[in-house]
Amino acid sequence: MSQSGATVSQECVTAYNDLKLNKKYKYVIYKLSDDNKEIVVDSTSEDGPKYDDFREKLINAKTKSKTGAVGKGPRYAVYDFEYQLASGEGTRNKITFIAWSPDDAGIMAKMVYASSKEALKRALTGLATEIQANDADDIEYDSLVKTVSKGTAAV
Amino acid sequence: MSQQPLASSVQPTDIYGGDEVAAIVLDPGYCHTRAGFAGEEMPKQVIPSFYGQIGERELFGDEYINPRANFEVKNYMNRDSVVEDWDAAANLWEWMLVERLQPPRPLPPSKNGLNIGDDGDVVMDEDGNPSAPPAEGAEEGAEEYEKPLYENPLLMTEAPWNSAKAREKAIEVVMETWSCPAFWLSKTPVLSAFAAGKATALVLDVGGANTSVTAIHDGMVLKRSVQRSHVGGLWLSGQIRTMLDGSEPKVDIVPTFMVENKKPVEAGQPAEARLRKFDFPISNSFRAYEEERVLTEFKESVVEVWRSPGRLLTPGNEDYARSQPGRVFEFPDGYNQMWREQRYKVAEGMWDENAAYGANNADESSRLSKSQTIPGLIKAALDGVDVDVRPNLLANVVVTGSTSLLNGFNDRLNLELGALYPGMKIKIHAAGLTSERRFGAWIGGSILGSLGTFHQMWISRTEYQENGAGIVEKRCK
Repeated sequence: MSQSGATVSQECVTAYNDLKLNKKYKYVIYKLSDDNKEIVVDSTSEDGPKYDDFREKLINAKTKSKTGAVGKGPRYAVYDFEYQLASGEGTRNKITFIAWSPDDAGIMAKMVYASSKEALKRALTGLATEIQANDADDIEYDSLVKTVSKGTAAV
Repeated sequence: MSQQPLASSVQPTDIYGGDEVAAIVLDPGYCHTRAGFAGEEMPKQVIPSFYGQIGERELFGDEYINPRANFEVKNYMNRDSVVEDWDAAANLWEWMLVERLQPPRPLPPSKNGLNIGDDGDVVMDEDGNPSAPPAEGAEEGAEEYEKPLYENPLLMTEAPWNSAKAREKAIEVVMETWSCPAFWLSKTPVLSAFAAGKATALVLDVGGANTSVTAIHDGMVLKRSVQRSHVGGLWLSGQIRTMLDGSEPKVDIVPTFMVENKKPVEAGQPAEARLRKFDFPISNSFRAYEEERVLTEFKESVVEVWRSPGRLLTPGNEDYARSQPGRVFEFPDGYNQMWREQRYKVAEGMWDENAAYGANNADESSRLSKSQTIPGLIKAALDGVDVDVRPNLLANVVVTGSTSLLNGFNDRLNLELGALYPGMKIKIHAAGLTSERRFGAWIGGSILGSLGTFHQMWISRTEYQENGAGIVEKRCK
């Protein structure tokens, strides 16, 4: 269980399995429900998934604080990276977990997300790797692929 | 931070089930102890962990540390930030939580406003809360009602090297002496990392008595990474003392309480002050405590960390530092002087063992070794963890603790890390707000304790009664 005691809703696992087994989505973005008790699906990739949309969604994510003020918000996300090997031996897929916590988000939101992450990660089986990202530079496509592939991807 | 009331239909029935838990967060440290209610942004009470003792009497709180006869200043912790004197600790905490924090006291049914007999008015104190019942009015047999913190779950913080014995003792005090309904123990670096939004981080905590480096992975302390040394605020005070002792002319620290009046003097001239006379001896511990106040001011206004290029001992840098504009500091007795290269040199030993005052001293015990400097601690911490997690840790360095507020600290840290790990991506996260840096762990505890979901994590009183103090080792990993 996560250290905050937050739980994971069933739809999170369903959406993840759709991504992993049925290749229905390129990515799934998760968030905590407004009462911070449960992790739910925020959005999934629509037709013609583009990485830029994904990135925009994360950067523009919002969270409401207890006082009702809306500020930048952290998110969790799963992205199915596909890349060509530099050695020319074909393509690889890596399902990557991204803990997105912008440095300028509210301290309360950051804390809740950081302390609840474990719950979601445990519910999703078969994640290849995990990234902790804190500003827009951390989620540039090229650098992410480089990290995810441990440098074996063709640039 | 106001809390959203739950709709009455989902209002939990047990005492600490909802968001409205009135949980208390207690963060004890060597220099200060911090306490407040979970969900608030700042600890309401910050008092020195030092306390005064006259004979058997203990006096808590900064305002009671005054010159008195037979007055000794003590600390309930040892220099390792582990509680040593449990009686004093429990007394100080209780004084702080009950007298100073004043959690709303549970009212016996006859006084809770629902059974008003006489004029129908509930007596309010100045905060608008119904005032606590007089002690003799508690005719209810329930002895728990009379224990001070009957309604408040308590979240306490601890250093990662805290001993199993001390942890069990903590839960005993909380459960037996105070009758808290629930308890949790969190490690300070985990809370600091969470408060920075990171479940994986390398936490550098530069505190008063200790500086520690801890690697956190997915919210868990990696035990083999924990490193610490005494290179903290008090060590820095020691450096300043050595510097003052060795300067020409020698500078005596005269604490504020001794000065009756002073005349302005030119820089570097002997002080002209009339000192107060006491008809009882002033204990050394009290004098040292008061001197520390002066040194704290000196650290805040004068001391600066050498940023670049290279280290201070790099040839040419000391001359360069000397030519830089200095800072004037006036001691309480009026003595004042311009400090130039000294203000860099006192902090240089944190990074470079050869630059510390007394580095050439024959006395081994006061000398730092390379592994005790901040770069040394970080290197040792990272050497203790798996190679695969190191890049992730270096990209998430969390800096906390009051002493990290020294001017230039983060710039220097960045430089040192870059030199230690060339080619790695290094990112330092240090809260911009002074208070978030000073109270990082407390704030983390405050948020965790206020989460509605956290109630299932608490060790409840019943669990404690069934399993004994050993449960804290099992649950609070």
